[in-house]
Amino acid sequence: MNLFISCDMEGTAGVCSWKQCDPSDRHEYPIYRRYMTQEVRAAIEGAREAGARRVLVNDSHWSMRNLVLNELPGDDDLRVISGAPKPWSMAQGIDSGVDAAFFTGYHAKAGDAATLAHTFSDDVYAVTINGVPCSEALLNAALAGSYGVPVLLVTGDRTIVDECVAAMPWIVGVAVKDPIGFSAINSLTPRAAQAAIRAGAREAVERAERAKPFTFDAPFELIVETAQVEQADFIELMPGFERIGGRAVRFAADTFPPLLQAFIVATRMASAANPIA
Amino acid sequence: MTIYISGDMEGVAGVCSWEQVDARTPHPEYQTFRRYYTQEIVSAIDGAREGGADGMLVNDAHGPMRNLLLDELPADVRVIFGNRKPFSMVQDADGGFDGAFFIGYHGAAGNSDAVLCHTYTPSIIYEARINGVRCSEATINAGLLGYYGVPLLLVSGDRTTVEGVREQMPWVRGAVVKAAIGNFAANSMMPEAARRLIGREAEAAVRERGSAQLYRFEPPIVLDVQLVTAAQAHLVATIPGFERTGSRSVRFTHDAFPVVFKAFVATWRLALGST
Repeated sequence: MNLFISCDMEGTAGVCSWKQCDPSDRHEYPIYRRYMTQEVRAAIEGAREAGARRVLVNDSHWSMRNLVLNELPGDDDLRVISGAPKPWSMAQGIDSGVDAAFFTGYHAKAGDAATLAHTFSDDVYAVTINGVPCSEALLNAALAGSYGVPVLLVTGDRTIVDECVAAMPWIVGVAVKDPIGFSAINSLTPRAAQAAIRAGAREAVERAERAKPFTFDAPFELIVETAQVEQADFIELMPGFERIGGRAVRFAADTFPPLLQAFIVATRMASAANPIA
Repeated sequence: MTIYISGDMEGVAGVCSWEQVDARTPHPEYQTFRRYYTQEIVSAIDGAREGGADGMLVNDAHGPMRNLLLDELPADVRVIFGNRKPFSMVQDADGGFDGAFFIGYHGAAGNSDAVLCHTYTPSIIYEARINGVRCSEATINAGLLGYYGVPLLLVSGDRTTVEGVREQMPWVRGAVVKAAIGNFAANSMMPEAARRLIGREAEAAVRERGSAQLYRFEPPIVLDVQLVTAAQAHLVATIPGFERTGSRSVRFTHDAFPVVFKAFVATWRLALGST
């Protein structure tokens, strides 16, 4: 099995503040990037215990160069995608012929009462596809699904794990912490989280036959609600986007990848609107 | 008869440096040159009236787009003020105008001997073409005006800018207020003389508007943008409908000119936001 891992950071055990996952932070971030790396390593090792071999890891957080590379396995069958921006962002590489996907360190969507809840950026107030409110996990799962790739494992806080299991019952979920509002958690310690992730990854690969690609039904309709009016002003400039409210835009497509690409570029356009001149 | 005036600052008499026109980190000189700019706009308005115009809409089209000293303008004109307009330098050009003026305009990115030449954003746009035609801001903006049935009647700025516009639109009257010496120096008329020239040309432009034509691009409209860096093209190519045509170039095709215009604005807004 060729495995794809998209690894985010906010859902890592112990993370409850932006400072811990902000690459410009010199005190806490260096510690938590190592915990993130160790959780990814645990997922790789668990998957390999169950027979997976080749693994493609996409560093999916912030600058997307968080992983401490020499703390990952050093064999030829592991590759890492680092850096940003990437056209497919957190799902870069999902279309490269992989058989299944893991999402590690994931977090709840914008608007959820959960730790560091957001969807791609704080500029996104809410995003729906065909009326379904979407987290990053669901968006990336749907892109994977459009290439026939099922998601087998999700790790992160209990809110996102429960949501993913509800939407994709075949998923093995590893909740490494329970949110207490936005910036506090009741968490496993890193070593316990890594052990749980390793066991979960092993189980996820063992049960891979039960998994299905997650898809929405065509035609696809994307609605993005922005935090601020000026962000929708900018998104509306782009071809194909329709303004449906002061802080809402709509985009439609018959195939899924262009829809997700439109969402990603919408988030970038929204952030371009932020420095007011 | 109503006239649309799009006012930029780089082509104002005496201007030869970014400091004179930088509203974001205002240098003392900016306060002087925003007044000269305002006065050139007033001259264009007065001249248009002499020629028979009775309604004027002025779009402040430079930088943050709030440069005009409003109490120095005639009380009976309207002004479009402020930044981030979807149609930018030609916002609200669809109001049934009888003609348009471009005052204080400048050359396209890459022009030699054009003061402060650029095309919307110096750090992003290396070259823009529509249906193969190399575009200055005047070209793109005139294309939108033409789409709405408004002919360009007058352009003022340095010699390179005015001649560039007249090559593409020979019916346009030009007010050459300075001759560029490279990008950062000019041999210029004095502000007072420039105002007289702009007033005279504005009057003549309105009187002779019968011979003006519409500048229109025929669909399908193909926008080719060459970016300054490959990283910018990488990002811009993810805009829906955009195609990567080279390491530093993208293409967008559409039948409606306003959609193409907004896509062009989206191009540099997105690239600017990520640098």
